[in-house]
Amino acid sequence: MMRNDPIKHVFIWPAVLVVLAISIFPLIYSLTTSFLSYRLIPPIPPRVVWFGNYVSLLQEPRFWNAIYTTTLIAFIAVGLQYTIGFAVALALNARVPGERLFRVALLLPMLLAPVAVALVARMIFNPTMGPLNQLLGRFGLVNLPFLTNGHWALGCIIAVEVWQWTPFVVLMMLAGLQTLPEDVYEAAELENASAWQQFWGITFPMLLPISAAVVFIRLIESYKIMDTVFVMTGGGPGVDTETLTLFAYQEGFKKFNLGYTSALSFLFLIAITIIGVTYLALLRPHLEKRR
Amino acid sequence: MTRERHPVLDGHWPETERDFMAYVEIENVSKAYGPYKIIEGLDLNVADEEFVVLVGPSGCGKTTTLRMIAGLESVTGGTIRIGDRDVTQLRPGLRNCAMVFQNYALYPHMTVSENIGYGMKVRGEARATIEKAVKDVAKILDLEQYIDRRPKQLSGGQRQRVAIGRAIVRSPDVFLFDEPLSNLDAKLRIEMRTEIKALHRRLAKTIVYVTHDQVEAMTMADRVVVMNRGRIEQAADPITIYEKPRNLFVAGFIGAPSMNFIHGEIVARDGALFFIEPSGTVLAVPKSREAAYTASIGKLVVLGVRPDHVVHQGAPAGSFVRMIVRDVEPLGPHTLVIGTVGAFPFTRRCRSELPPSPIGPFDVGLDLQRAHLFDKASGQAIVA
Ligand SMILES: Nc1ncnc2c1ncn2[C@@H]1O[C@H](COP(=O)(O)OP(=O)(O)O)[C@@H](O)[C@H]1O
Ligand SMILES: [Mg+2]
Repeated sequence: MMRNDPIKHVFIWPAVLVVLAISIFPLIYSLTTSFLSYRLIPPIPPRVVWFGNYVSLLQEPRFWNAIYTTTLIAFIAVGLQYTIGFAVALALNARVPGERLFRVALLLPMLLAPVAVALVARMIFNPTMGPLNQLLGRFGLVNLPFLTNGHWALGCIIAVEVWQWTPFVVLMMLAGLQTLPEDVYEAAELENASAWQQFWGITFPMLLPISAAVVFIRLIESYKIMDTVFVMTGGGPGVDTETLTLFAYQEGFKKFNLGYTSALSFLFLIAITIIGVTYLALLRPHLEKRR
Repeated sequence: MTRERHPVLDGHWPETERDFMAYVEIENVSKAYGPYKIIEGLDLNVADEEFVVLVGPSGCGKTTTLRMIAGLESVTGGTIRIGDRDVTQLRPGLRNCAMVFQNYALYPHMTVSENIGYGMKVRGEARATIEKAVKDVAKILDLEQYIDRRPKQLSGGQRQRVAIGRAIVRSPDVFLFDEPLSNLDAKLRIEMRTEIKALHRRLAKTIVYVTHDQVEAMTMADRVVVMNRGRIEQAADPITIYEKPRNLFVAGFIGAPSMNFIHGEIVARDGALFFIEPSGTVLAVPKSREAAYTASIGKLVVLGVRPDHVVHQGAPAGSFVRMIVRDVEPLGPHTLVIGTVGAFPFTRRCRSELPPSPIGPFDVGLDLQRAHLFDKASGQAIVA
């Protein structure tokens, strides 16, 4: 087929229209909404306030608290996921006995719906009736305020995130490890490089591109954390575990403050973009070396 | 062992100052993968500073042997010594061997200079020392302008040189090469052959070099070790290997085009010995060889004639075979005439200025003084 065969339009336009319909138009619609004062309850007619919503959001401590909480959860959870996931992948790659079983078992958390995981986690961590505290009680230890203390609750959410998403990291890193050439390690072996030196000199740098992608995906996904927090703590106690999505949900679907919520979504989008761009900018020099 | 001096940087290591003789002794070494016995009872001694080439068909266990010397493969039985050290159970890093892998095994994420300097870096040498050594090696190998490139940005020949650079910068006791030239084009291969030989003279180090290419083996080696099915068929200097092959395998493997084999029988008639080929060719055994061949009377034998051991004019009676010429291949300096003698393929090499043989039957005089005879059953040479 020639490059400028008119038939190409038949293939391209449906896709373009679908993309426009399902992503660009809603985006523009919500951008418009974010410049309005638009409440459903009480039903006042929309009024253009321009950047009013943004200004009041940026002055709202609860917004900054949500940003802080989300960032904390995302960075700690992803850091742990990456570290633990990479370590497990290295172990599996070294052909431990029962490696296949491990692989399947490891996949399971990832396959579960986050809501279901959060529900189970809420039961386990239940301060009075949860099995975890019962277990602690049996050993004569005090009950811990898993979901009722702000710090503990954050810890629990992070733990659940790590439990659920580390397998993803394991899978990706294992795939990466299996593409590494064997003879390069033999060469290093002959140079008397220790396992530690081989990891930092060869494995880690060679897996840097895939690591960058994995961390990026997990980071962006973690910023969008919703169901886990919603079910486990509902943002509580107080607003100690309130994430950006949860904050948006409260404003949009509890208060039906649509203009405000749209502005929040856009700030969220901007925040994620800033994080993403910064992350890539920081990594670029290291990744480009490997071309 | 002191290792302050560097043969590459300081020129030759004076013989008197060397405190370590890097000879390699392989004693009764065997290797099996599960039930598959790859190598059985291998004995090989490589002298200090010797350039030994292991050559043999693909799958005969050359790489395995080399990797056992390097320590990348464990031995199933036997001992390996490097110098006065028994290294059989030693891990690769402690054997002080440097290996050049067939696919180079360069670190893809490192530049040429990082690749060459990695071993020194691992051993925690000072940055300035590393830089100087890398620079000197790059100079020797003509890599200076590529020093900041990555392996991906290099041609095959350049990668090859980086791999060699990585090996020599460490000043190892023994160099191990595993078919290092097989990924290069023909012209480059010949160039690198010369370069590696020059390098050996310059470094004066023990080298064990593996190849399946007999030309490489013949041109580079101090001593050629012909291997087949995990055993050593013959180990000798190139000329001996060529002129006095110990058995049919070596005779057929070494030399290109390979030796012609005509199967037949030695018979005694009228007080003289003759070689009789089933289709009727009769060759008179030269008087000088009769004594040696007497024991083979009545036995099945194989006559081996190299393609250039034919006589173009004035061959005596009783040294002619009838060759059916099928093809003529002019190669420039000489011409190959390809065909059969009886049931056996036969190739003959002629000077190209001679008129080409016609397709069809043609009587060829053999230089029987230089022909080889092998016992068919054992494959061993019957030495005259
Ligand atoms: N890991 C292995 N497991 C089983 N057999 C192997 C293994 N590695 C090599 N071999 C066998 O050992 C024989 C010798 O291999 P190799 O030393 O690589 O031969 P060469 O280098 O002479 O071509 C081959 O027949 C090969 O199939
Ligand atoms: Mg091989």
